[in-house]
Amino acid sequence: MEKFTLIGKSMKRIDTAAKATGEAIFSADLSLPRMLVGKVLRSPHPHARILAIDTSKAEKLSGVKAVITAQDMCGDKWGVFRYTQDQQFLPTEKVRYVGEEVAAVAAIDEDTALQALALIDVQYEVLPAVFNIDDALAAGAPQLHDVYPNNINVEVKIDVGDVEKGFSESYLVKEDTFRAPEDTYFQGEPYAVAAQFDQTGNLEIWMPNAGPHMKSKPLSNVLKIPLNKVRVRKISIGGAFGGRSEISPADVICAFLARKARLPVKIVYTREENTVATRQAHALVTKIKTGVDREGKVLARDITCYMDGGAYSSTGPIATSVPFLCMEQAYRMDNVRYRGYRILTNKPIRGMYRVHGRAFASGVDVQLDEMGAELGIDPVTMRLRNARQAGDYTPTKSYVASCGMTECIVKAAAKAGWESKFGKLPPWHGIGIGCNSVQTGFPMGIRGGSQALIKLNEDGGITVITGIVDNGQGNESMVVQIAAEELGLTSDDVQLISADTEVTPSDPGSYSMCETFVGGNAVRLAALDVKKKLFKIAAGEFGTGEDELTARDRKIFVTENPKISMSIAKAVRIALSRNESISGEGSYWPDVDAKREWVKNPSGQLSEAFSFGAVIVEVKVDPETGLVEVLEVAAAQDVGFALNPQIIEGQFEGGVAMGGQGGMLTEFLQWHEGRVLNPSQLGYLVPLAVDMPPINNIIVETIDPKGPYGAKEAGMSVAMSAAQAYCGAISNAVGVYFHDYPITPDKIVKAIEEKKKKENAEVSG
Amino acid sequence: MNELKRYSLTLTVNNETHAVTASPNRTLLEVLREDLHLTGAKESCGEGVCGACTVLVDGQPVRSCLTLAMAMEGKKITTIEGLAQGGQLHPIQAAFVEHHAIQCGFCSPGMILTAYALLRENQNPTEAEIRHAIAGNVCRCTGYAKIVKAIQSLAGEER
Repeated sequence: MEKFTLIGKSMKRIDTAAKATGEAIFSADLSLPRMLVGKVLRSPHPHARILAIDTSKAEKLSGVKAVITAQDMCGDKWGVFRYTQDQQFLPTEKVRYVGEEVAAVAAIDEDTALQALALIDVQYEVLPAVFNIDDALAAGAPQLHDVYPNNINVEVKIDVGDVEKGFSESYLVKEDTFRAPEDTYFQGEPYAVAAQFDQTGNLEIWMPNAGPHMKSKPLSNVLKIPLNKVRVRKISIGGAFGGRSEISPADVICAFLARKARLPVKIVYTREENTVATRQAHALVTKIKTGVDREGKVLARDITCYMDGGAYSSTGPIATSVPFLCMEQAYRMDNVRYRGYRILTNKPIRGMYRVHGRAFASGVDVQLDEMGAELGIDPVTMRLRNARQAGDYTPTKSYVASCGMTECIVKAAAKAGWESKFGKLPPWHGIGIGCNSVQTGFPMGIRGGSQALIKLNEDGGITVITGIVDNGQGNESMVVQIAAEELGLTSDDVQLISADTEVTPSDPGSYSMCETFVGGNAVRLAALDVKKKLFKIAAGEFGTGEDELTARDRKIFVTENPKISMSIAKAVRIALSRNESISGEGSYWPDVDAKREWVKNPSGQLSEAFSFGAVIVEVKVDPETGLVEVLEVAAAQDVGFALNPQIIEGQFEGGVAMGGQGGMLTEFLQWHEGRVLNPSQLGYLVPLAVDMPPINNIIVETIDPKGPYGAKEAGMSVAMSAAQAYCGAISNAVGVYFHDYPITPDKIVKAIEEKKKKENAEVSG
Repeated sequence: MNELKRYSLTLTVNNETHAVTASPNRTLLEVLREDLHLTGAKESCGEGVCGACTVLVDGQPVRSCLTLAMAMEGKKITTIEGLAQGGQLHPIQAAFVEHHAIQCGFCSPGMILTAYALLRENQNPTEAEIRHAIAGNVCRCTGYAKIVKAIQSLAGEER
């Protein structure tokens, strides 16, 4: 008998038939009786004092049902952490970026709402502004917030081992600076919120989110109503990619408009609003100094990274830390110093992004390539000499229980034909490798754990109740698969109630790749609880021990003698008739160090498990145009255990598109004095079907001791390491190591010209 | 503000006729979503680039966000809601589900209709032809690999 019936197989997703027919409802699709259109007035200035707001004309316009400003709120400041509470949902004193929310209206239709916005008179005193890291840090620079002197929002300091000694013992030391401007999520679905209050003051609200419980608490705080009155409802979500986890001003504004108008209100962002007024990804400047021995083993690293965080903290302490943490997980480094600074500028707010930190990880990797070249060691060997191993502790003291970094490198290299290609490819062809590692959850305070319930029906079917949320990655199918597997059911026997704060227990959300590990474990434990109760009943009927039973094909039977069996439905009916509880509960709290804190104490178990990935890319560069053709990609990741291989492959492929093809070739925001010049689809180039290369997926399994069935997370290490591999491959093709990202055609052409000039000078000299 | 004059028009959508009134500046997408409550067509970019609003007009994929409703009288419009018949997924929809070609699903209605139009014109498209046909439909989740596979799986079938 096979060990599993559903687990490890490419079970069809439970949500995609509705998405294929158009039946799936996204927030913007909602329509409620007498629903109003909400619109937001935004700051035209990057930095200005708000002197006065006159809404009287807008309020008098026929069809306008509510106008709100900061006066309608209590001045509360929001922050992900207590020490980063710095953003008002509607600001009282100052605006700090072009596009910041200033006021909002709800009206009977869009035209009226837009007309009302035009009638709101805001008087500003324009203030000097800062638009980049250097200007923000300069002496006498305009200050964004009083609480962050010199515009330094977050400072992370990590010191492990003896860095100077490591450098002094190094055979080769190299220092380089890597840069990249902002990129952005560009989710398919522009942000949208719908909200309504009932007669007893209960709020119902729908919006794309990466964790409904992460939204309900701040809504409860700012609306001054108890949590049980905030009902963040489940809705289809058109992508998150690390964004959409925090409360958005749009959520709060929509709720306040609905409360004031006493009618349902829906706000649908334009594409431009989604780019400017949700979250963007940080611009980075990273200085990396690395010392290696004669064999290429890293003896010391000193990294200083400046991140342009925009106008507010958002997830700043996490964002300032994660690029470093990913690298300390991926590679061994005994002596390391890290200084991370998140700097405030008068630009839109930056948050955690799926492929955050391209000018960090790509820097670490391309520098390894460059040092390897000097030592006569090829990039794959350089990675193997430094690869993280199971049983290690990271520099900041996380134990690594399972690790397939080496296996990923070896298998990707074999699949890509590394040995026959590296150094042997025709001119303008190149091959490169990137390695990365991500967490499966962080210490997240009271909402760090997940709880799940399972209800049985008298026909033997079940309803799973869990706070997990699906942004598109397949989390809903993941928990259904787990519950059905444990109870010997099919996915059709399982109904799912998820991501609804009225009904579902606490859960951290899909943020930080923890849903499989945390939410999946909680559902598995709930199913085991149910199974124990069912087996007790069946064992009593069969006169056997509970440990002699198996649940499969909707039946419970004696494992050694399957003829002795009863249907699960019968066991449920026996329980009901005996007044025995048959529902199940499960809860999972990840074993992380609760004392670990991003800024004050960056040491201790960060995450219970880590995924590891290696991507190898082969490219061909056109030296005339600078265009890059990607010939083939090999993407390998240690996922722990592949619960659903096709879902994992989809995550790998999407990760290569976003991290590599988009992240290293085309995606960046352009600016003029704090204004985004390319917020729309025409100006921000995301990969198309014709751009994408063939991708060979390599799933590596290490069976993590704590993950559900050994599973960790499904594809983030590939998404992150893809950029590094693209960078390595292009550098290899051109013969120039690139330090500025993304590597657009103009940079390639310029690099080739400079290289030629240098070679000519050497020849003539 | 002067209200634009509204005109009556008859739209044929998924083989049903609908009498609607619309001002001349109203797009087909707005009328489909707001008046007919056919919300399968999505607005993602709003400027005719991303393909999320794709519907078929006389069998050809068009960007409904750039198409004026007034120009649609007498045309045959097919939206994603018109593809499945009798509660059964259309083979293209079934292939997208089977091959895990759908993640968040926001682009899927437009993508599926574009694939439908392609396969009606070319029953045996090459991979390059498929990629070319869906190049105007942006997907941020999948990297397109499984979408291409889903469409390839239908090559050669009678529809």
